[in-house]
Amino acid sequence: MTRIDAQPAGAAGAESRRQRRKRRRDAQREAEIPVELYGLPRGTVPFLTSLAFLFAIFTLIPIAWLVINSTKTQANIFETFGFWFARPFDFFHTFSLLFQNVDGYGTFIQWFGNTALYAVVGGVGATALAAFAGYGLARFRFRGSQLAFYLIIAALLVPVTALTVPLYLAYAKAHLINSIWGMVLPSMVSPIGVYLMRTYADISVPRELIDAARIDGAGEARIFFRVALPLMVPGVVTVLLISVVAVWNNYFLPLLIFNINTKYPLTVGLGLWSDRAVNSGDADLYPMLVMGGLVTIIPLIVLFLVLQRYWRGGMLLGSIAN
Amino acid sequence: MSAAIGLEDLTKVYASGVTAVDGLSLEVGDGEFVVLVGPSGCGKTTALRMVAGLESVTAGTVRLGGRTVNDVSPRQRDIAMVFQNYALYPHLTVGENIGFALANKGVPKAERQRRVRAAAATLGLADLLGRKPRQLSGGQRQRVAMGRAIVREPAVFLMDEPLSNLDAKLRVQMRAEILRVHQAIGSATLYVTHDQVEAMTMGDRIAVLHGGRLQQYGSPRELFARPANLFVARFIGSPEMNLYEAALDPSGRLTLGSQRLDLGPLPAYLAPAAGPGGRRVIVGVRPSDLTLGDGAGDGDAHGRAGGSGGSGGSGSGGDAAGGWGGSRTLTADVRVVEPLGSELHAIFSIDAPAAGGRELTAAEDAEDLLPGLAYNGLARLGPRAMVRPGDRVTFRVEASRLHFFDPDTGEAMGRQADRSGATTPVVS
Repeated sequence: MTRIDAQPAGAAGAESRRQRRKRRRDAQREAEIPVELYGLPRGTVPFLTSLAFLFAIFTLIPIAWLVINSTKTQANIFETFGFWFARPFDFFHTFSLLFQNVDGYGTFIQWFGNTALYAVVGGVGATALAAFAGYGLARFRFRGSQLAFYLIIAALLVPVTALTVPLYLAYAKAHLINSIWGMVLPSMVSPIGVYLMRTYADISVPRELIDAARIDGAGEARIFFRVALPLMVPGVVTVLLISVVAVWNNYFLPLLIFNINTKYPLTVGLGLWSDRAVNSGDADLYPMLVMGGLVTIIPLIVLFLVLQRYWRGGMLLGSIAN
Repeated sequence: MSAAIGLEDLTKVYASGVTAVDGLSLEVGDGEFVVLVGPSGCGKTTALRMVAGLESVTAGTVRLGGRTVNDVSPRQRDIAMVFQNYALYPHLTVGENIGFALANKGVPKAERQRRVRAAAATLGLADLLGRKPRQLSGGQRQRVAMGRAIVREPAVFLMDEPLSNLDAKLRVQMRAEILRVHQAIGSATLYVTHDQVEAMTMGDRIAVLHGGRLQQYGSPRELFARPANLFVARFIGSPEMNLYEAALDPSGRLTLGSQRLDLGPLPAYLAPAAGPGGRRVIVGVRPSDLTLGDGAGDGDAHGRAGGSGGSGGSGSGGDAAGGWGGSRTLTADVRVVEPLGSELHAIFSIDAPAAGGRELTAAEDAEDLLPGLAYNGLARLGPRAMVRPGDRVTFRVEASRLHFFDPDTGEAMGRQADRSGATTPVVS
């Protein structure tokens, strides 16, 4: 009797998680068509790969700079080499300054809370509306549906700056200046989100599935929430990310509607600091600006990392025979 | 008793102006299994979707159990449907898929689980209730789609090409399975397919559709034995019917190329079809109605010379000059022999022009390019028939097994009188 035979029968069936993952990866690799078969000249792949690496470095450099310089004192930021660390290590001291009220302008942490609130309410709202509208436009035919869709597409072409003055005047009349609704309501309108959701609903929710659900006696609302929405999850996550990031990074709109420091989001608050540092010679603000920038981007990075697993397609597998 | 499904002048014209279904009228009795068959684009799926309520009705009426449902939503029609692509909910388990309709109706959870388990047991899915559709094989998914339909115990079952995504072997298996389930639950079923074999093997009655119009509605036997027109003649039966241009005169003489067959006195239904000096007709003979005569290879089998020494199994066989129905002979040159094991196909050529069958005409054109290889007919013989390519053979055929069609209209000759009984519903 060999050693393998001596193993208990159950051990063979219980495959470890790692083995399963390895097997799936191997299968995936095997399913890929070797690039040689595309008829590309030799060396194309290494060349393109190194190009991609260069681009990755290019985009990561500013973040690296932020991380490195967030540890420096104000003097070192200007006097030492930008891409290496320098003593003294000032990270925690600078970080603590973010919680302090600087000259009555409000605290960084307050702005952070504002941004988070605007981004969550606006982003989730935009995503929900886009999912409803996109599904409706993709799967229902009604009078004016084409026109509505083209108008939404057209809205993509209008630059936001062109809307500044009319928007401000409208807000003033509607008493939305300095109101959270002034920030959140426009953020919930996302033409690009509607466009993406319509396209995604079109490819991910087969008509036959809706037909089947109708025959199974489900109402339209139940069909949307129980059948269509679960299939649209990767698209919904994409639109959620885009919307949240758009609100998070929005500078122009809050600049327009808020004139109370405590209502500022991060973008406007950091802008204020930057303005003071440059124009009023308030050089102490530079380390706080760097640290503030770093803290501002961290939630977005975390959001991407957390949501990326929902991005995977393949949900539809097995529903419809090809 | 009102029929489970009643269609009256059902018509669908799409916004593009295309008429998909054109004045379709038929009834499906309680517990009956009716197959809607036709080539792709004939309107069969559109008709089914109108019955389901997934497609609006342009004109005509859909009745379910006597109730007009033209404007009733699918959920209120008490129907279940199996889709060509199964249309399983990919994010729900097998059990949730089957129970979805019950959950929509607000059936209590315990009751729901009991019925889901019962349906799953019927279909051999009991062990798979926790799986997701993507973890199932094609046949299993098909069963889940069936389970989703039967769990509701609907008045009417609709199936849209449910087997077309399965491989050949599984298809045969599932065919029997569907019939078994149908017999067990006994709901009226309307089944759409493009496969005439499926139609013949499954249907109590078959409705043949072409260009949105009903061509013939009858039992498989009727369709096979008395096709109403050229389309049905070609569509039903595999291999398809041999069809030739010919002439028929009132004395019962059929001229087929250079060959003449004396059919004897014409029966009443055919008499008007014949004309003095030979009226143009299209004559059809099923490959299975051709049997090998004794005169194989003698080269002198024209007219009624053959038919001697018949086995006598065909009743009046051997007495060629006798009454209608006796066997006649036909000389042909065998081109290709396909031994299929249980039977043998002799692909042959006779010197009469083939009618209708597109493939055959194309093959005739090939005579110029490949002399001696063109063919225009096929005979289905016993597995031990002694024929080789190049042989000149004599086929025996019974006059009563010949089909006659009007070359201008394509309608079967004398069918009007003959068809009277064909449209009465079969009650099973």
